[in-house]
Amino acid sequence: MNRRDRTLTLAAIALLAAACSSNGATPHDPGKVVLPSKQMTVAGKLYATKGRSLYRFSGTHLTPLLTGVKVKDPAVSADGTRLAFAQLQEQSSAIVLGDVEGKARQRITPPSAPEGALWAFSPSFSADAKQLLYLTDRGKEPSSPRDLKPNDLGVWLYDAGTGRSHRVVAPAPYTGGDSDPLFRPGASDQLIYTTYLYGGVPLQPAARLTWMSTRTGASVSLSPERARNFQPAFSPDGQYLAFIRADSGRDDLYVMALGTSFSREPRPYPTEAAILLQSGMVSQPVWAPDGSAIAFLMPTKGSFDLFVLPVTTTGTVRASGPAQAVTHGSFLDADSRLAWSP
Amino acid sequence: MNQTGVTGVPGASRPSRSHWIVIGAVLLCLALIAGALVYIMPVLALLGNHDAAPGRNVPAPAHAPPPLDSKQRINILLLGSDNDQKFREDALLSQTMIVVSVDPAHHQVTLLSLPRDLWVEIPAYGNAKIDLAYARGGAALARATVEKAFKIPIHYYAWIGLKGLVRVVDRLGGIDVDVLHPVLDDNYPNDFNASGYGTERVYLAAGPQHLDGRHALQYVRSRHGDLLSDFGRSIRQQQVLLALQQQAEGMDPVTALPNFARDLNGHVKTDLDLVRVTQLALFMRGLRAGDVRQAFITPFVRDATSPDGQQILLADWPAVNRYLRQLFGEDLLS
Repeated sequence: MNRRDRTLTLAAIALLAAACSSNGATPHDPGKVVLPSKQMTVAGKLYATKGRSLYRFSGTHLTPLLTGVKVKDPAVSADGTRLAFAQLQEQSSAIVLGDVEGKARQRITPPSAPEGALWAFSPSFSADAKQLLYLTDRGKEPSSPRDLKPNDLGVWLYDAGTGRSHRVVAPAPYTGGDSDPLFRPGASDQLIYTTYLYGGVPLQPAARLTWMSTRTGASVSLSPERARNFQPAFSPDGQYLAFIRADSGRDDLYVMALGTSFSREPRPYPTEAAILLQSGMVSQPVWAPDGSAIAFLMPTKGSFDLFVLPVTTTGTVRASGPAQAVTHGSFLDADSRLAWSP
Repeated sequence: MNQTGVTGVPGASRPSRSHWIVIGAVLLCLALIAGALVYIMPVLALLGNHDAAPGRNVPAPAHAPPPLDSKQRINILLLGSDNDQKFREDALLSQTMIVVSVDPAHHQVTLLSLPRDLWVEIPAYGNAKIDLAYARGGAALARATVEKAFKIPIHYYAWIGLKGLVRVVDRLGGIDVDVLHPVLDDNYPNDFNASGYGTERVYLAAGPQHLDGRHALQYVRSRHGDLLSDFGRSIRQQQVLLALQQQAEGMDPVTALPNFARDLNGHVKTDLDLVRVTQLALFMRGLRAGDVRQAFITPFVRDATSPDGQQILLADWPAVNRYLRQLFGEDLLS
């Protein structure tokens, strides 16, 4: 047997051995939303996107919305009547506002400005739906390959009364900027967002939950400098904050209580006392409108699917049962927010 | 009278049952061999794609690869380059240099990223950024440069182009990655348009998500919006390598290997042979998250300007050597 023959023989044996221990083929995107055989009943209306198309889950019904529109980050007002989302174009995006069926739509941010094409993402309603927080790179300096300038996302506020927007938070340059802005329910002068930055020696990527008073403009960090805590989601009463903590290769879902009035130096960091609700690679948590559950996206066998975790806030906040799958093998967009309305 | 009633050529007789069994076995073997060849030819074609030998006098590899049945450490220099449309194929800078060190004895893999702007001595060339080694002398000179600067014996190399990474990720059905920061790049090089030039705008939201090949490439390649620049990119590259390894765990290697080979042909160059690839693939399948160690020499380098005015990184070599000793123990070159 020459060397080549031995090589082939050994390879064949090794491959056969591998076949014996194989876990099967990697699942691929089916191109549609798939519901499990044992369907879960969704209370209220839960919105998610798949392939940039918007879907609404309600009861055991699945309804596609806004056909032909590329949607990211849907948001619904607390009364369930208004819908906002980021509409994606080829090289830009804009915030669009309409009724909950997606009709009477109006674009409230420009897709471009003198500084160039613009991004806009993550709209979020105030309790009375008269204001919207969102992210944009508006106000950046024009950039070219020979003269690079930062184009990080800052937090902006749109006032429906005046039809105007202004910047609330300027991003730190070359960090990617801020994300996940939210009004605090029951406290119209408080908001929460994720600040992306670098911490430690040598510098490492970090993400801090930031609490801001819009009345004074002051902001404080709710999480340590070197940690990665992000994607905050308020309970409907504004008392609890769910968020994702990345640590040791996992992205777990935690929840913590937050004092009612804005505190300048909350120490120890409130995230340090947070309670673990769900382990895994969890993304985009959102509370049910009645506070009885948290929905999120989590991958199983390569597909991000929609789950609902029942929670109770009686006594200490905790999961009151296992998470139930709303979809199965659907490859939902895990970079796009969920929304949940009555 | 012929007792059997068979007539014809003297000495010829109807094949016995044992003859049919032998013929059947031979046919079966031939069919199996033909099937194996059809299966394995794309893989052999891929692995036969070696880097062209450099024109200069490049030192030979410091060490032969360890025997297959040994528990000795195996080091592979992973090289990634810009696309092969825009530049001459033999003049690509290596944008990525990662030493993948497989330690079977301790069931551990170390990923060591080497910054592309690091100022080193390139054998038979002189002092330059380390990314120039591949452009000047291909994988052989890149290997010799790493061996000389870091005293790490490089047993194999694997070069992958941009399209190669995209195809690997897509063949796996995408990868699950926790994007560390929002990635915004208004000047991301658009390598896949007709000319290979031009830019496009890129946005990736932060957080856990599923990336296809195109977006995985954007994630590992963009550096304009990252304060950590090339170091930030090194972190992301290692993150994607780990995600690839995790995604491949669910793959059926028997059916996947030829498809991978067909996808990657022309986008990968390596001197790994089939048996070693198979051995490494099986080893990687058994790895857990804690078995992979991520390493960077960033704490031991500082910004500087080269004599010809380039922005470079200078290493504190005694500190680098101490760090490498921690990582590789006695497995370094003397």
